Amino acid sequence: MDEDLPYTLSNVAQLGGHEDRAWHIAWNPAKSLLASCSADKSVKLFTYSHDGEGTLNFALAASIPTGHLKTVRSVAWSPSGRTLATASFDSNIGIWEQELDDDGNPGEWECASLLEGHETECKSVAYSSTGTLLASCSRDKTVWIWEVQPDSDFECMGVLMEHTQDVKCVAWHPTEEILASGSYDDTIKLYVDDPQDDWFCCATLTGHQSTVWSLSWSPNGKYLASASDDKTVRVWRRNGEYEFKCVLVLEGQERSVYSVSWGVGKSSQENDSSLGCIASAGGDGVVRVWDLSENSSSTADVPLVRLIARLPAAHGVFDINSVVWCPRKGYEDLLATSGDDGMVKVWRIQRT
Amino acid sequence: MSGEIFNPNPTVFRSSAKSHSSRSLSTAKKSLWINEPEWSQPDQETDEEEEAIDQDEIFDLIRNIYDPEHPNTLEELHVVSAPQIDIGENRVKVEFTPTVPHCGMSTLIGLSIRVRLIRSLPTRFKLDIVVKPGSHQSENAVNKQLNDKERVAAALENPALVKTVEDCLTGRV
Repeated sequence: MDEDLPYTLSNVAQLGGHEDRAWHIAWNPAKSLLASCSADKSVKLFTYSHDGEGTLNFALAASIPTGHLKTVRSVAWSPSGRTLATASFDSNIGIWEQELDDDGNPGEWECASLLEGHETECKSVAYSSTGTLLASCSRDKTVWIWEVQPDSDFECMGVLMEHTQDVKCVAWHPTEEILASGSYDDTIKLYVDDPQDDWFCCATLTGHQSTVWSLSWSPNGKYLASASDDKTVRVWRRNGEYEFKCVLVLEGQERSVYSVSWGVGKSSQENDSSLGCIASAGGDGVVRVWDLSENSSSTADVPLVRLIARLPAAHGVFDINSVVWCPRKGYEDLLATSGDDGMVKVWRIQRT
Repeated sequence: MSGEIFNPNPTVFRSSAKSHSSRSLSTAKKSLWINEPEWSQPDQETDEEEEAIDQDEIFDLIRNIYDPEHPNTLEELHVVSAPQIDIGENRVKVEFTPTVPHCGMSTLIGLSIRVRLIRSLPTRFKLDIVVKPGSHQSENAVNKQLNDKERVAAALENPALVKTVEDCLTGRV
């Protein structure tokens, strides 16, 4: 079955070390660093570099014990790549920066700030595209928006209480200051800032039959992908300022889909209608990749989609908790996954 | 935990004779979540046997879990039974029947069943724990909680809740 697909995912690295499930991973957008976080309460940073023969090598660069009292559920890099945020089940958010030692060389990762406020487990954290805002969400049903100020100071700009259940994930639009959140209440909500007033919910997307676990915006910002407990990935098209419509439902997953990531794909071909690639992963242990492009011929606004790669048992019998495309130029064909086996794995998509 | 008891007068049934399953799966391990020996070899699928696990073996694991409110096992209260266990390829679905439709202990019972099975079964098994359809007034809400991986993980980091689960598993109710 897999031989029919035009692309395969080949393994580039298998990174162990976490002593419990690895929940989430994040690629540093500016440097060759991959961060992972775990139920073992630590964050691990892996560097990668090409050796003389063109092979990409990954190595553990640092293990940050964090000091969180419970699971670290999510990590996010600031756009500058200098700051790392951690979201923990202990309800706090940690802000981490690398101190420079006496010679000006990067040294230990230190906690620059601890953001408190959520009443229960913090599930996700994300920086806006400019890095001036940080969003967090929690089982307490709220989404918090923080403004990043100099000296690692954070000011809370809003506490949004629109969801009726746990908020599982937050994701910022790639260019605009629009925030999306996914929830245990089966909906996706979008928020914007009213200059005269406060942050408010400008749209609610319904359609999923169960918890929304993960969200990912398309690189061009016109679409949003969501992964759900209902075993589907939905693609929503932005039709108006805050008007979204579900245009695709991607099926085939046999258990909950825990993560979705929308990458630029193999856009080395200058293909204007290409929308990039969606990767999904979840409880069935399979990584799936779809290729999407705008449908110029039809009058309908449904993109063309085809499954281009499928990798079963990426983490053996274990659930995959997170799948993320590398955002850096020159590395767009890399995909990282983290699983219940505590492993972080890196894959390269290439033609079969 | 509130002081209210949801079912002050449960019907207690006599336990059936122990099943004749020849293979014994290990029960209460010390480690809460991680099965140490298996953890250090994540890629090794060295379960001693790849034989099929049957309903009776699963039932043997959960029959002696105690109800949180009464000094009776889930078997004695007919909360769990072998026919309510469905086994497929690397997956197990356990259906349990709360004693009353408004039972507020359902999530705790479901969590106890999950913990017992996680500790005892090979990691390849995906577990679905649900209430018997029609047996609970908040069936969907209970099922959703019981099978939300993140909620379960967070619950098991709550020391008070873990102690209550342990009491159900060991009978110190």
